[in-house]
Amino acid sequence: MDHLAVIPVAALGVGILLQLALGGFLSNRWKGILAFLAGLSSFIAILGLLPLVHANGFVKENLFVWDRNILFQFHVDGLSLVFGLMASGIGTAILFYCIQYMSHEKEGTTRFYGLMLTFIAGLVCLVFSENLLAVYISWEIIGLCSYFLVGFWYKQDAAVQGARKVLVMTHLPGYGLLIAILMLYHQTGSLVWTDPAVGAAFTTGIFLLVFLAAMAKSVLFLLHSWIPEAMNAPTPVSALLHSACYVKAGVYLVARMYSITTWNPAWNQIVLVIGCSTIFVGAVFALVQTDLKRMLAYSTISQLGYIITGLGLGTNLGLAAGLFYCMSHGLFKGTLFLCAGAVQHSAGTRDMRHLGGLAKKMPFTAAIWLIAASAIIGVPLTNGFIAKWLILDAAMESNALIVVVVAWIVSVFTAFYMLKATVSTFYGEESSELKGKHIHDAEPSMKIGMGVLGGMCVVFGVAPQLLMQSVIEPAVKSMNGGWELQLSWLGIQTQSAGLNMTLAAGILVVLSVVAGLITLTMTRKSANQAGTVSLFTGGDPLTEEVDVTVQDFAALAETAFNPIYQITDPDRVYFPLWRGIKTGALWLNHSIQIGLEKHAILASAVLAIVIIGLAAFV
Amino acid sequence: MNYSWINQMQIPAGMNVDGIFGIAFIAILIGLLVMAAVLSPRQKAWWPMVVAASGLVIAAQMIESTQVKSILIDAAALLAVGLVWYETREKSKSAWLNYLVMIAAAILMIETGSALLRGESIEAGLGTNKLAFGLLIAGFCLKLAFMPLYFWLPDVAERANPLTSAFIISIVDIGAFLELFHLRSEAPFLFDGYSTIWLVIAILCMLGGAILALAQTNVKRMLAFSTIDDMGYLLIGLLAGSEVGLTGTLVAAICHAFFKLCLFGSVAAAEKFEGRELTLDGSHGLASRYPVSSTVFILSALGMIGVPPLLGFAGRWRLYLSGYEQGGFLLAATMALATGLALLYYVRVIHKVWLGQPVADAKNREPLNVKVILLVFVIAMLVFGLMPGWVTGLLAG
Repeated sequence: MDHLAVIPVAALGVGILLQLALGGFLSNRWKGILAFLAGLSSFIAILGLLPLVHANGFVKENLFVWDRNILFQFHVDGLSLVFGLMASGIGTAILFYCIQYMSHEKEGTTRFYGLMLTFIAGLVCLVFSENLLAVYISWEIIGLCSYFLVGFWYKQDAAVQGARKVLVMTHLPGYGLLIAILMLYHQTGSLVWTDPAVGAAFTTGIFLLVFLAAMAKSVLFLLHSWIPEAMNAPTPVSALLHSACYVKAGVYLVARMYSITTWNPAWNQIVLVIGCSTIFVGAVFALVQTDLKRMLAYSTISQLGYIITGLGLGTNLGLAAGLFYCMSHGLFKGTLFLCAGAVQHSAGTRDMRHLGGLAKKMPFTAAIWLIAASAIIGVPLTNGFIAKWLILDAAMESNALIVVVVAWIVSVFTAFYMLKATVSTFYGEESSELKGKHIHDAEPSMKIGMGVLGGMCVVFGVAPQLLMQSVIEPAVKSMNGGWELQLSWLGIQTQSAGLNMTLAAGILVVLSVVAGLITLTMTRKSANQAGTVSLFTGGDPLTEEVDVTVQDFAALAETAFNPIYQITDPDRVYFPLWRGIKTGALWLNHSIQIGLEKHAILASAVLAIVIIGLAAFV
Repeated sequence: MNYSWINQMQIPAGMNVDGIFGIAFIAILIGLLVMAAVLSPRQKAWWPMVVAASGLVIAAQMIESTQVKSILIDAAALLAVGLVWYETREKSKSAWLNYLVMIAAAILMIETGSALLRGESIEAGLGTNKLAFGLLIAGFCLKLAFMPLYFWLPDVAERANPLTSAFIISIVDIGAFLELFHLRSEAPFLFDGYSTIWLVIAILCMLGGAILALAQTNVKRMLAFSTIDDMGYLLIGLLAGSEVGLTGTLVAAICHAFFKLCLFGSVAAAEKFEGRELTLDGSHGLASRYPVSSTVFILSALGMIGVPPLLGFAGRWRLYLSGYEQGGFLLAATMALATGLALLYYVRVIHKVWLGQPVADAKNREPLNVKVILLVFVIAMLVFGLMPGWVTGLLAG
């Protein structure tokens, strides 16, 4: 069928146009349904490309002449499909969730749905485009969408300040990508990334420029501090930003460099250092958060570190692990955000200090949260387990022991902050702030939206081979990688270093359970005598008055990691830098006003004479 | 070397510059007049002066002779001076006086430089010719408010009505810039022989304009410095002289004209109904009262710095490429740095003046015709940005 590659973008385009044309007449609910249908059509159309990509390796489509002799064309391969499916699939689930979530919004829903669809379309164009200028344009379109969506509530100072930071911190490094593209064009005369000449001209300098742009979009360490500030957006925006459409754009760029050129092994070190730093810093900052969405934002930073680290390992298994982690993260992080949105929607707050005991009133949301939280922690039977396992396996196979250690330690941190969030939001006593409020579980479309995503976490945790064979394998091949992974049910693979690790882990788990049961049996009597406690305290009993809260967890982490917070917060450099620029500008302006502008005519005469004099000497 | 250039004006490589800019100026003039019907200053002289000066610039695009073109553009500039005098004579002497003296000096320098070269063969080392080129460079710096001879523009923009500033920057200045553009093919030695001086001027414009724009609290004054900033990029393309560079310059000049009209138009709408000047300290959350103006301002600001998919990008990527071809990575990075500063000063205005918590009632006060004009222009820039081939194809003839 002709033009099959265009249909996903066309479906979204029609959706955008319908929003603009009918927005004034439709109710919020119908706008949501319309947007959902556009997203679904796009997702189905991308699914329809899968057999073609399996059969031919890629689908190519000439689109139109954009500017003079610059032709825009699509080149859809396995890697494009990973990101295209993620953007449209997760995006569609989020749009379904929006139908009820946004139904009470008083104004701006046409703008909202138009931007959400443009956001998804932008990412699909980014990953489908063969022309590098089209890649840059798509890159900036999703940047603009994120700016306008984060600042959706533009009458709220907090929202617009967050949007401002998003724009500045992601747009500026984007010039790295543009300059890299122009350098390639200057050297080769080609803007098409499939052109072998472009690959041959791809130097380390160009890699660094592209990686700089990717770092900003994918919240990698040093350019990550915008994302927690972007949390004052409607929750579906946060979900789309974090799971599918925005932070994954940088991952795509890094992955795509494997397709464009022969990957230089020296680049692995750069990617791994940044990746591991990001894993650690994101998690350490997540530990101290008391705002549910901010905590999830920092956890995104950490998880993106895992993904980039997988790609940075550079082996076939590493690439597969990175891509599988990328898709898994999209699913569980999207779910977590939608659950957080349901909590905020119902409880009116996302501050964990004022939450608690919601599992009784929001059982469905709590259950879905538990699945997604288990996935992000890496509990078996979820996709997160397979993803983490593959990353550790790939790291062991590459003898990257530091990666193994960092990934393992941070997995513990992840479990720590996710349990903190789970307990303080859904379990324990209901907080006094919530008493008397009419708290109810999420509404049906919200339940379906997050339920579908949460369900996928389990499906791909039990049967990861479904995703591996259909999507990840062609993607790795399109990155010039080989496919040697044989995964079966539950992600068991018997052909790599992972076998020993799994065996060791299995033995440890069994021993721990046995030891726990023995301890429980032996100490039950004495524990009863001393009085039971509801929290694990390392064995020390607590008095009735002592109540360990989320603040205590945060304070504990803050004390323990204080020097790390000081060192690893890049805003401590950026803000003084900005103040310095502003002070310098004010000083220059003042000096010029006093020295030159007051005597503008005289100053102009002197300077004109200087220019004429200089011309005489040239 | 022999460059006999006066009276032999040719447009580079078949470019249809005059025709496109003639149409652009007519569109801008119509937009100005429609907005002025609601937002214009009270002075009756505004209308005939703007129409006459714009007519001169438009006529200059239709005439072959260099000398006549130059005379028409100079006459338009002097009419603009007259308009500024008429508007600001009671408020500020410095604004119109500086403008008058500097434009008069610029005309004098350019005409003297041209007269020294007229009909002569140009020997690179000849003292008279060096003086002539020096006069031309300094003259155009004054006329177009390039750094470091920019002093008249910020004062004029701050004191005059925003629509007057839009008229001066979008029509008179761009008309004068086209004079310089034509010299690129007629007198290449003016650029190739003095490329270092031009490059320094361009970098000074980009960085100096951006840094000084950051220091401003008055929005119109900030917009004036952003014009100086933008002129630096236009010069880079002109200096390159390649097809990519020249096309980039022309597209960027068109964008400059339209986006500046939109920016000043948005400010004019808000100032008119707020009854005061827009400043970073005194205004906040105006988007709730002026949603269309604020949207247009934001999009135009992003278009000015070349954010895709607005048309500005079609000019900017060519200018970056020209910069890279001339000065390698260092010049391209300098351009990116200046654009970064531009983003910072625009974002400051967007977030301090337009967005955020509204200070008082949020009743929409924008007149319909202003909204329509602003939206038409900004949507046109978006559509042409998605299909820039329509513009660059027309420019190429």
